[in-house]
Amino acid sequence: MKLENTKAQMRKGVLEYCILLVLDGKPLYASNIIQELKEAKMIVVEGTLYPLLSRLKNAGLLSYKWEESTQGPPRKYYELTDKGRDFLGELKSSWSELVEAVGKIKSHKDK
Amino acid sequence: MKKTFTINISGTVFHIEDDAYEKLQDYLLKLKMYFGSDDEGKEVVADIENRIAELFSEKPVGENVVVTMEWVDEVIKVIGMPEDFGAAEDDEPVTATGKRKRRLYRDPGHRVLGGVCGGLGAYFNIDPVVLRIIFVVLFFINGIGFLAYIILWIAVPKAVNTAQRLEMRGQEVTITNIEKSIKDEVKEVQESVQRLKKSDTYAKGQHTATQVGDVAYNILKVLLKIVVIIIGVILIISGFFGLLGFISSMVVGHSLVADWPLVWSPDLQMYGFLGHFVTPGALTLGLAAIGFLAGIPLLAMLFIGTKLVFRYKSNNTAIILSMAGVWLISLITLVVLSVGQAGNFKDKTSLSTSQVIDCQSCQTLYLELGEDKWGDYSGTNWKIDRFKVVNADGEQILIGKPKLDIEKSSTGNFIVNVKKKSRGGSQSDARENIESITYNFSQKDSTLSFDPYFIIGGDGRWREQEVFITVKVPEGKAVYLSESLVKIIYDIENVSNTWDGDMIGKFWEMRPEGLVMKKEGN
Repeated sequence: MKLENTKAQMRKGVLEYCILLVLDGKPLYASNIIQELKEAKMIVVEGTLYPLLSRLKNAGLLSYKWEESTQGPPRKYYELTDKGRDFLGELKSSWSELVEAVGKIKSHKDK
Repeated sequence: MKKTFTINISGTVFHIEDDAYEKLQDYLLKLKMYFGSDDEGKEVVADIENRIAELFSEKPVGENVVVTMEWVDEVIKVIGMPEDFGAAEDDEPVTATGKRKRRLYRDPGHRVLGGVCGGLGAYFNIDPVVLRIIFVVLFFINGIGFLAYIILWIAVPKAVNTAQRLEMRGQEVTITNIEKSIKDEVKEVQESVQRLKKSDTYAKGQHTATQVGDVAYNILKVLLKIVVIIIGVILIISGFFGLLGFISSMVVGHSLVADWPLVWSPDLQMYGFLGHFVTPGALTLGLAAIGFLAGIPLLAMLFIGTKLVFRYKSNNTAIILSMAGVWLISLITLVVLSVGQAGNFKDKTSLSTSQVIDCQSCQTLYLELGEDKWGDYSGTNWKIDRFKVVNADGEQILIGKPKLDIEKSSTGNFIVNVKKKSRGGSQSDARENIESITYNFSQKDSTLSFDPYFIIGGDGRWREQEVFITVKVPEGKAVYLSESLVKIIYDIENVSNTWDGDMIGKFWEMRPEGLVMKKEGN
């Protein structure tokens, strides 16, 4: 068992949650999302994001609209759909449950 | 000095150096292969291209800015290689080192119908066009191409996500690769043996025990894998040829593979042959039932065989259940049909005709077998009990053997009595069946020739028809049984209780007590 693999697995599990979190409240285009995720060290290479975005969009959680940019090509601005917001709500509560569970176990050990 | 190209990425124009261009193109190609060519894949690739254009645009802008190799490397590093993306959409972790084991999938990216040929092509590294031609040719030869295609279409899963697409073109399944994987396992076995040896000196008993188990397990695993592959190949081969033989005998009537010793292939025209025994409506249904009854186990063999060798994923329960279902329905259909057919045998009737042999002066009547008109016809030659189907000038005729007996005549004349018997659904039905029986014998001086067969004419079917010939011999007169008669004489009573086979070639005289063998001569 490699540490890197386990870490990657853990990240992978919450990546979708993070994307939805980043988009919560404001529409963003791919580069913004990448920037946020990279800063949080959630992703290493940008290529990881695109298939996920496309999948979330096809699942009806995200929608996008094209907007012209002053420099470079036009940009796809993603935003949460109603369904996406509901989904995110569910994820938020199950995430806090997870954190709580892990915290409980850890504090139990520390005693 | 470097050559530069002008390219258009997502609507933005860039100048790019020769080598950088090639690298970029290669990278985009890899992405396309990774994400596939369906709508979702195309969209992802387009998004990434968009991002590449954006990254290039972020560089210092100038009139004559040229994209260099360094830029491209940088961009690739930022976006990453497909294997770094992680199979974010798949449950299995992607192994970065080495390609995945190749599996058989249907390829939606290269499909005409179901993507079967595309997938097979990817699996065997063959141009799908070649496979398509083979399938079409097989389709026209005897339909097996069609059947095989349908089976594969149903059984082989479509490569839907990227992980599956990678598996589709994964590590080649060649003999060397199979060999390699087996060698790897053999090595594992050896290592565990070695571990065992080392541990022997200072290990505790329990530890050793688990290691012995380990060794045994590994050896067993290797053996099992080899056996599974061998069984799979055997199943595929026998299933395939069994089906080929079966279908060609059902559909075409003569088998392409009749001469292949390996193959079971009944060389007969099922339909025509059975037509003599069963009513037409029931026949088609019955044949379909027989087809499924015999075909499904062969299909199952093929399916299991391919699964064992190629190890693709499929919905086993659904396939097996539907196969078993159809098989059972066929069985029930066949049973019901047979019961229905039995109704055709409900009633029986017989019809006797007697003919006085016009030969007052004959002291001895010579009995012989007439010419066997059907002996010369080769072709199908199916015998059931005393019946036979022969191919005469392209027509199939059902013929049966009569039974000849000898009795005492109550008059002073030789009499030949021909009694025809048949069964039918009703009395009139049985009578009609009797009328379709043709049987002849002929007289020439003191010789009687009996046809070796009676013919069931028209579209007559087998209804347990029988023809009994009784030659009635007056007291004091004799018959000579020619040797050829052995084929039709049937349990002739005689004083010496001589067996039929020993009665031929001899003279027999009718005495008051019965038939007595006469000494040679008169």
